[in-house]
Amino acid sequence: MTKERFLKELEASLKRLTAAEREDILRDYKEHFAFGLEEGKTEEEIASGLGSPQHIAKELLAEYHLEKLEATATTGNIMRAVWAVIGLSFFNLIIVLGPFIGFAGVVIAGWAVGVSFILSPLLVLIDLAITPSAFNLFNLFSSILLCGLGIFILVGMLHATKYIAKGFIRYLKYNASLVKGGLKRD
Amino acid sequence: MNVQFKKGVLELCVLVLLDKQDRYGYELVQKISDRIEISEGSVYPLLRRLTKEEYFTTYLKESTEGPSRKYYTLTEKGRLYLHKLIKEWQEFSNGVNQLIEEGVSND
Repeated sequence: MTKERFLKELEASLKRLTAAEREDILRDYKEHFAFGLEEGKTEEEIASGLGSPQHIAKELLAEYHLEKLEATATTGNIMRAVWAVIGLSFFNLIIVLGPFIGFAGVVIAGWAVGVSFILSPLLVLIDLAITPSAFNLFNLFSSILLCGLGIFILVGMLHATKYIAKGFIRYLKYNASLVKGGLKRD
Repeated sequence: MNVQFKKGVLELCVLVLLDKQDRYGYELVQKISDRIEISEGSVYPLLRRLTKEEYFTTYLKESTEGPSRKYYTLTEKGRLYLHKLIKEWQEFSNGVNQLIEEGVSND
């Protein structure tokens, strides 16, 4: 691989970073090429010593996404960081994606139950509109009870979602540092 | 050798090399790859991460021949971290060495 191709591929893989950061990273590799050439190595030799640009970009991106996650945790943010950490190694596909799907399932189910409970009085109204003769008070009261329960569940889910997201971010970071090197423990 | 294991050791190598003097990126890569087989490209992401964690500071130095060099300086925080890593490494390698010795002498 030539110097130009290496730098181009690296730059293309780092599109997500800010221009300043990307420039700074490319600068390091340009410097590396310049010194290698000075020592009489060929561009091919230097590039093969560096390894694949995609692999280098993966490491940089995982770092970047985790950093952003610390600043603000939004759903899109978390998803991107999950993918980035998965990209670090195949092993991560199982130990990151598995818990992620599990937690996401719990959160989605909780919200769905809460919302449908709250909406249950609507069903009574619909029932009433379709068959006015079949109206019974038991349905009305039980749906109001469910509605109240639903409100409690939603309030609970609001907190639970926040805690689960926080816990998961910590797990991602722990996982990334584990994959990057087992020596770091803090 | 296991890739993940090597990455942890790489961190220790970089910190050790900066303990006595400031060095620039290419120099660090060469020093390490002279002794152990590494993928040279992964040293730079490591340097960035350790700089962000405030273990290093950097400065640019123009040179009369060739490109300007980005030098890395170990901070006080970095030095403390280095000492912690060295201690962990010594305990780890002593343990492994003892196991090897016992294993070999039993044969």
